[in-house]
Amino acid sequence: MAVVESAERTSSTAVSLRSLAPYLAACLVVGFGLFPLYMMITTSLKTDHEAFAWPPVWVFTPTFHSYLGALFGFGGRRADHYVFNSLLITLASSALAVSLGAMAAYGLARFRFRGNRDIAFYILSTRFAPPVAFIVPIYLMVQRSGLLDNALALVIVYTSMNLSLVTWVLRGFFLDIPIEIEEAALIDGYSRWQIFLRVALPLVRPGLAATAILSVIFSWNEFLFASILAPGYAATIPVYLAGFSASMNIDWAEYMAVGTLAVLPIMIFTLVLQRHLVRGLTFGAVR
Amino acid sequence: MPRVEFHNVSKSYPGGIRAVIDLGLTVEDGELLCVLGPSGCGKSSTLRMLAGLESITSGDLVLDGARINDLPAQARDMAMVFENYALYPHLRVFDNIAMPLVARRVQRGEIQKRVHEVAETLHITDHLMKRPRHLSGGERQRVALGRAIVRTPKMFLMDEPLGHLEAYLRVELRAEIRRLHERLGATTFYITHDQEEAAAVSDRIAVMHQGRIQQIGSLLDLLDRPANRFVAEFIGSLPINLLAATANEGDGSLQVGPMMLPLSPAQATRLRAARSHTGLTFGIRPEDVALADQEHAAALPGRVAVLEPQGDNTVVIADTPVGRVSAVIPSRSVPAQGERIRLHLALDHAHIFAADGSNLLSGVDRKG
Repeated sequence: MAVVESAERTSSTAVSLRSLAPYLAACLVVGFGLFPLYMMITTSLKTDHEAFAWPPVWVFTPTFHSYLGALFGFGGRRADHYVFNSLLITLASSALAVSLGAMAAYGLARFRFRGNRDIAFYILSTRFAPPVAFIVPIYLMVQRSGLLDNALALVIVYTSMNLSLVTWVLRGFFLDIPIEIEEAALIDGYSRWQIFLRVALPLVRPGLAATAILSVIFSWNEFLFASILAPGYAATIPVYLAGFSASMNIDWAEYMAVGTLAVLPIMIFTLVLQRHLVRGLTFGAVR
Repeated sequence: MPRVEFHNVSKSYPGGIRAVIDLGLTVEDGELLCVLGPSGCGKSSTLRMLAGLESITSGDLVLDGARINDLPAQARDMAMVFENYALYPHLRVFDNIAMPLVARRVQRGEIQKRVHEVAETLHITDHLMKRPRHLSGGERQRVALGRAIVRTPKMFLMDEPLGHLEAYLRVELRAEIRRLHERLGATTFYITHDQEEAAAVSDRIAVMHQGRIQQIGSLLDLLDRPANRFVAEFIGSLPINLLAATANEGDGSLQVGPMMLPLSPAQATRLRAARSHTGLTFGIRPEDVALADQEHAAALPGRVAVLEPQGDNTVVIADTPVGRVSAVIPSRSVPAQGERIRLHLALDHAHIFAADGSNLLSGVDRKG
């Protein structure tokens, strides 16, 4: 009797261990992924002294001293200005890319005209070459039009770079809408433009969310073009951040504070829209 | 007075496919005309040209005396019910039904009133706040019907509206459609491939095949006087028996295999007038084939190959010298499998088709 019982007990421990294993593995992976973020945020909340302490100080009283410094300026460098630049450029270029891209995608998906497929492929092909290949011609164009170090230049460049992805992805979403739904709207008395706004766009909302996320992430993080086209007054957060590591003695707490400021908006934005994405995946079919 | 006329309407698709050829057809005011045909016969293209969803290659489409070939779909004032319902997935049932009214800028109070009236008629009031994906197929098609009847369009277009539904729902909804038609009296163009459904909902049936209208009439007309061999084969709950036949000029009889079927003088005259004696096809429905007495001379000998019991009646399929022939026999007097039998083919219910498929004579013509 006793032997049987203990055998049962060991087997049940084994079972519970096996069911826990995936969670342990997940914890490890998440910990690995989040540790740099954790270090960045905690360092930004430490004093200079604590930031350099070895072994690291795990328990400390958080201070927002570095944030105040980063935002409202030591030595004439004020992060708030660059955060604003980044927000403006990111929102403007993403809004433009998604709205123009949606219209282009709808046209490619729904209208039969000569060269339709060729145009769609051409749009995709603009992503084949690495962007750095175009940096010289783009620099010259921006310079000639007098837009160097002007936010407008980055808005235009980012819009054109995101537009191809948005158009290509949304074209697929529009093609997935059963044509009968739009034909029904046509017969119900709606114009093409009304159908686009009232029927087609709401049905590709998951696609709009996905392309908006990708556009925003790209524009917010883009460094190469930003550093060359707008190195000064119109600089974005990545360019400003890079400036830190170039200086002689780095104020790590402040550096991390600016880093946190750079990461936070994207994280919030993605978390908010992610729900849309998941809902889009379970969106009921028509039939 | 909504009345639609097709004058020599044709539709060709790129690649040279001719979907509709020289169509001449009139849908009378207040009529429910059903176009019946196998898939690919051109009935959908016809409906879509009428709706304005497909361009017309040649010919004239006339609505109330005005040519509407180039009128865009949204200006034609027609309502359409689709096979796959085509409801707006992102809108609730109420808004789905209200969409045609919103497009016409009807006042909100009026929309409320009319949507609720329609929902009551179609027994979907409980679902008004749901989204289409939470409804069953039958309920979805009721919503689609509601979206069509919520306004008073010039005409209704129905594109196989019951095609996706289960059998019992089809029977229920086709009665509903007929009831709505009798109440609204709206001109309706209905397409289906199901002859039972066509007979149940329509005033007239137009049989279409290979882009052309073959015959227009009631189901009984189509059964008793098929215009050609295709109609005879396509219509009927059981496939018609088609046997090769030759006309004997001399004694005015019809040779079907070993059988000599005597023709009446009128029938013989009809065949002679048609000037075709060979390559004829003798068609007779299984319902008109009976078991013959052993002594009967003009009977077809055969051996029972397959028995398909259907309740009161049994379909007996027999091997004969002219091929397989099926007959509907009362179940109580059915022969055994393999038994030798003789079949009596009632000439006065038969059809004779020429080599080109046209109908030379139908037995039932003798009355007329």
